[in-house]
Amino acid sequence: MSNNQYWKGLEELNNSPEFLQRKSNEFMEGIPMNEAFKEETYELSSTRRDFLKYFGFTVSSAAILAACNKAPIRNVIPYTFKPADVVPGVANWYSSTCNACGAGCGTIVKVREGRPVKIEGNPDHKMNNGALCAVGHAELLSLYDKARYEGPLKGTESIAITDLDKEITKTLDEVNAAGNGIVVLSSSINSPSTLAAIREFAKKYPTTKHVQYEEFSSYAIIAANEKSFGKAVIPGYRFDRAKVIVSFGADFLGTWISPVQFTQQYTAGRKAVNGMSRHIQFETNLSLTGSNADVRIPITPSQEGVYLLNLYNKIAASTGAPTLAAAAIEGPVNMVENTAKELLANKGKSLVVSGSNDIDVQLLVNAINSALGNVGSTIDLNNYSKQKMSNDAEMEQFVSDLNDGKIGAVIVYGANPSYNYYNAEKFKAGLKKAKLAISLATAHDETAMDCGYVMPDHHSFESWNDHEAMAGQYSLTQPTIHPIFNTRQAQESLLVWAGVAKDYYSFIKENWAANVKDLNFNALVEKGFMDSGSASVVEDLKPTTKDAVKIAAVTSVAPAVEAKADLNTVAANLAKVDADNKGKLQVVLYKKVGVREGRLSNNPWLQELPDPISKVTWDNYVASSIVFASKNNLEDGNLVSLKAGNVATEIAFLRQPGQANNTVSIAVGYGRPRFDKEGVAAEVVGKNVYGMVTFANGSFSYTSYGASIEKAKGSYTLAQTQTHHTLEGRDHYRSTSLSKFTANPKTFQKQVEVISLWEDRDYRGHKWVMAVDLNACTGCGSCVVACNNENNVPVVGRDQVMRGREMHWMRIDRYFTFNEFTQDGSADRYRADFYKDLKVDSNNDGDANEKITEEAFENVSVGFQPMMCQHCGHAPCESVCPVLATTHSGEGLNQMTYNRCIGTKYCANNCPYKVRRFNWYRFNDNDNFDFHFNNDLGKMVINPDVTVRTRGVMEKCSFCIQRIQDAKLLAKRENRGMADGDVKTACQQTCPSGAIVFGDVNDVNSDVHKLFNNERSYHVLEDIGVQPSVKYMGKVRNTFDEKQNS
Amino acid sequence: MYESPIREPLVTGGKTYHNITDDICRPIENKPSTQWRVGFTISAILAAIGVYSIAYTSFKGIGVWGINKTVGWAWDITNFVWWIGIGHAGTLISAILLLFRQKWRTGVNRSAEAMTIFAVVCAGLFPIFHMGRVWLAYFVLPLPNAFGSLWVNFNSPLLWDVFAISTYFSVSLLFWYIGLIPDIATVRDRATGKARKVYAFLAVGWNGSTRNWARYELVCLILAGISTPLVLSVHTIVSMDFATSVVPGWHTTIFPPYFVAGAIFSGFGMVLTLLLVARKVMNYENYITIGHIEAMCKVIMLTGSMVGLAYITEFFVAWYSGVQYEQYAFLNRMTGPYWWAYWSMMTCNVIAPQVFWNKWARTTPWFVFLIAAVVNVGMWFERFVIIVTSLHRDYLPSSWIDYSPTITEIGIYAGTFGIFFTLYFLFSKYLPVIAISEVKSVMPAPERHNKEVVAH
Repeated sequence: MSNNQYWKGLEELNNSPEFLQRKSNEFMEGIPMNEAFKEETYELSSTRRDFLKYFGFTVSSAAILAACNKAPIRNVIPYTFKPADVVPGVANWYSSTCNACGAGCGTIVKVREGRPVKIEGNPDHKMNNGALCAVGHAELLSLYDKARYEGPLKGTESIAITDLDKEITKTLDEVNAAGNGIVVLSSSINSPSTLAAIREFAKKYPTTKHVQYEEFSSYAIIAANEKSFGKAVIPGYRFDRAKVIVSFGADFLGTWISPVQFTQQYTAGRKAVNGMSRHIQFETNLSLTGSNADVRIPITPSQEGVYLLNLYNKIAASTGAPTLAAAAIEGPVNMVENTAKELLANKGKSLVVSGSNDIDVQLLVNAINSALGNVGSTIDLNNYSKQKMSNDAEMEQFVSDLNDGKIGAVIVYGANPSYNYYNAEKFKAGLKKAKLAISLATAHDETAMDCGYVMPDHHSFESWNDHEAMAGQYSLTQPTIHPIFNTRQAQESLLVWAGVAKDYYSFIKENWAANVKDLNFNALVEKGFMDSGSASVVEDLKPTTKDAVKIAAVTSVAPAVEAKADLNTVAANLAKVDADNKGKLQVVLYKKVGVREGRLSNNPWLQELPDPISKVTWDNYVASSIVFASKNNLEDGNLVSLKAGNVATEIAFLRQPGQANNTVSIAVGYGRPRFDKEGVAAEVVGKNVYGMVTFANGSFSYTSYGASIEKAKGSYTLAQTQTHHTLEGRDHYRSTSLSKFTANPKTFQKQVEVISLWEDRDYRGHKWVMAVDLNACTGCGSCVVACNNENNVPVVGRDQVMRGREMHWMRIDRYFTFNEFTQDGSADRYRADFYKDLKVDSNNDGDANEKITEEAFENVSVGFQPMMCQHCGHAPCESVCPVLATTHSGEGLNQMTYNRCIGTKYCANNCPYKVRRFNWYRFNDNDNFDFHFNNDLGKMVINPDVTVRTRGVMEKCSFCIQRIQDAKLLAKRENRGMADGDVKTACQQTCPSGAIVFGDVNDVNSDVHKLFNNERSYHVLEDIGVQPSVKYMGKVRNTFDEKQNS
Repeated sequence: MYESPIREPLVTGGKTYHNITDDICRPIENKPSTQWRVGFTISAILAAIGVYSIAYTSFKGIGVWGINKTVGWAWDITNFVWWIGIGHAGTLISAILLLFRQKWRTGVNRSAEAMTIFAVVCAGLFPIFHMGRVWLAYFVLPLPNAFGSLWVNFNSPLLWDVFAISTYFSVSLLFWYIGLIPDIATVRDRATGKARKVYAFLAVGWNGSTRNWARYELVCLILAGISTPLVLSVHTIVSMDFATSVVPGWHTTIFPPYFVAGAIFSGFGMVLTLLLVARKVMNYENYITIGHIEAMCKVIMLTGSMVGLAYITEFFVAWYSGVQYEQYAFLNRMTGPYWWAYWSMMTCNVIAPQVFWNKWARTTPWFVFLIAAVVNVGMWFERFVIIVTSLHRDYLPSSWIDYSPTITEIGIYAGTFGIFFTLYFLFSKYLPVIAISEVKSVMPAPERHNKEVVAH
């Protein structure tokens, strides 16, 4: 010490004894440990060292004990070479085109770490403006389908691609040399480059013929338009320009040609309420479109012609054209008269469409539209549709050629006649006669099983392609994932067999470069689409370019219908159809909004999407009117044996309000197997009824006359997500007629005084709310599938749905109400207080005060109400959870903490909206729920931003909180505040009718703020004081009012 | 002390103190009877079925029950409330009747208290095993934890249940056991061999001294004081599970008194069901007399009428409130798909007990047994009606749905009977089913044991 050269202070320099002593103590005053522990009984004599020893022992024991609790070890292998543009946790979006049907909607695909996890509509795309239908969303799941072919097959054995190519080209050469026909059988193809590839193939093999076949064809429109207007196309329909829309069985909002496009057009003319269009539907089965109609008249299929003839005559009489011979209408005569009046009052601003595939019917529809001057305004023959290109007559010819042994080789691409051709046995027999049959299917299908070779096509998410869905509107598909299996793009296969050594990407690029001046292909790919206005067009379409004039410029009416003589034949034909079939049981085949033609029948999202009308999942069934059911002693849940066309089957029965009497309807697209986690066909879902299709009058007919139905032994319960169908006089679904609404715009408002024991919450920042426009919502179910995808909602299967346990966070409630007809059978007045349980006879459990006749069930109005968590301000679920697993956020969200939830289900009981969903089992990795969550391939669709819930926890709509957080982070990164529209929930984003608006109600400029102050908006169950964050805007129906009837 | 010419004797048959000890200790000291063996075996099998069903539920998931998106509670909570109600008679007898000096309680209080405890054990199984993640059941306890400010929700009636039931169980157990100590000591003094050691341990050194008795009386009085509010509070809190919700048919302020009355009603029903069998089988007719039975019948009649009044009041208020959801909920109970449950409830709970206005009905054991069983069935239906018929059709008709139980739910319910009776059989074999010391206290003084001799 004394040798210190440096000292801290005089004390140290002096080295006084006090200083030395103090210095030996680390702390100036020491810690009075002993004092602290000094009690009479014992004395603490431990030192700091002891303390550390004990401390160390305790900590290490704790650590060892803690280590006994095994945490799962998951190894993460970092990228050795990081791919460009892939940042873990950050999604990339690629523009592409939806391939689920021919409509050709533009899409953007969300890709996380190299795998597509979500598909959304491309907001800039003209076809769909950001919206997408349920099938479009579900298409993504079919990418991860265990039913997909994993490589080329010869028979059932796998084969190397090179060997397959050798064998095929050899046989093709032989067939070609022998002069036998080669047929490329495909579904509708509007891709210019694919058609070019087929042409390349035909160059090598000149006997090649291309046949386009659609199982649910619109060929009659094409054929009729050729006769009427000299143009063999499906016109561009403009529902947005029509003030009066009359549809004869065309389900244009659900399944007809281009539903998303039509829904957008349709709602554009109706959302504003004032000046909304009037929609009149004549149809047999209650379709999605019919359920949205202002006036709906149930008719039998054979009556369709008679109704049209009468309508034509009324119009012709007014315009001075000669009328046609027509039988009188049975039933409400005034309906046709009123319809004619409406149409005549809106000449050039109306639209008559028919979903029939009968050429005569379509000729008459053309005549009516022509007489009304709609051709050139609401019917656009220049910007026509290429969404359905099939030719029924060619298909018939092909099958007969096949059976005559004229065809040597068949290449099947995107078609599945072994399943859906009405005479599948004939097709199969013919196919056996061909020397070579190749299937280019992506996933297991019936036709591929009958083909000698399968060269599986890439899934569309792995493919390049181009499309021209509407004349002059081009759009591109680009791959968003590396091919998962050993597959090859179909077009490339054709090119290889044609001896063109080019991959399809280069082929498209060159095809475009050859046809479009100054093309920046990469920019085009990035954008995803091109309008014909901007460049000259691919070779195929040069004729189109000539008349690619803006639609507004088309003023002249297209060529009028052909000679009257022809229409007289039409009238005679149609009259004969009705006369021949009047008393017979008539079967109507239709497509369901989810499963449609059955191409994606192995898609659990679509199978579990409830039918918008019947709310049945996982099945098709025979539906009849209630009068018919009681006459034939049939009840829901009966099995019936049905004979129609080539089909005799036992199938479940359902009573369907709205179904025309003496008819039954059945959906096609069922009767295909589901595939289990090993990719093996498991149980068959529903029944295949394609055999009921007939070929009549030059086209496929989806009506079967003279069917027989009788009760079979046994019963079969259908899995419905909704089993109670009426409003019970409650006002949570509010609707009125336009005339009443105009008279009293406050009609949806209800004065409610709620006294609350709770303090009101103060939302200083954001307050997230949602507005749902019931007037816009068509009930299509697109939001349901979008939500399933976004939020990893499990699929539970038929059995669990029957037990009332579907997991959908978003559901669409559907209610039936009765229309009341006046004495003359004309008026369609809507009465909100007129309700009754569906069961007419025994179950008198509502406080219904009027006996309702069975006939009334034919004339029902339908209301759709999307229902999701209402994020109540005073949420009843929050107060009852014993463990605070569901809590309120400062931004008005009702949040679920899955980790904390112990599953008492109290919250679900106490939810007035019944939107909470409980995980009854573990729905992932569970062989009892063998859907996409049960195999590694299917799990690739899981959204990494959302937890997959375990068994025993409650879940519900979160208002897509992951999207809110994402948008907040983005805003923060860009150093700006949140703007309206930054956050779009999955349901809102996809809604084709724009019925859902989400946003911050505290932002006075936001759309949702304005909608909250709309005169039509109200809260559901506002009187129980839970302060929901969702407002609904009442439904207005533009029904005929009494003045118009007189 | 408790005798006068005008008062009915509480123990008949001219028993002496020694007779009582002999009678009551006999089943403990002898080999079990065949009846006992058969009964115990059946109960144990039922209990095993219950344990299996509970284990099956826990391993598979709540999906093995019949409940669904709309009806989240059904047989589970019905059984829970029913069993809790069953227990209430025991507490009422041991606590409130003690405070009111109802001496007739001495003959039945031991069994009733035992029943309380076993019923609470059965009841407690349901809220635990109805949880989706039963392995995390401890989340409902306000335990300090390392998750930050994570705490239980004191607003939730389900949490109140946790406190109510656990308090109820522990107080009831303690009260019952303290009451047993002098009797266990009696058994100990008569026993030999191993049994003596076991009973000696259980008797915690009881020596019958004045000091022992003084402390014993004091503790019993204190526990009676603690138990008394529990008779009212437990079922009040259970009723709040429903009353504080927004579900039409649940959201009713009448629930607390209505539930308490119902609980006592069903509790006495169960006490009668058990004791009528026990007194016959174990030859205790002199201790559990017709007077006892009659008194309990009167309680049943009173509480049954209270319950009936509550049912009618509910209906009136539903109509008077003008709330359509309320109105529909009650109309649906009467005429909806579960009308049979409602009418079973009305018949069993309101109409059946009215027969007790008739003296013959009150004093004929087989008839009382029948009505007591009917009362228990009725009270089960009451809970079923409240829970399932309210839930299955609440606000939005789109979610209306029906419910039916699965074999697993039935198995669990049957299993709780097994557990209950297994415990009861064990109790009746190894412990005195009648409180020896307390019965003796209501006997005449020793010198006047033989009343025939002593002239007044």
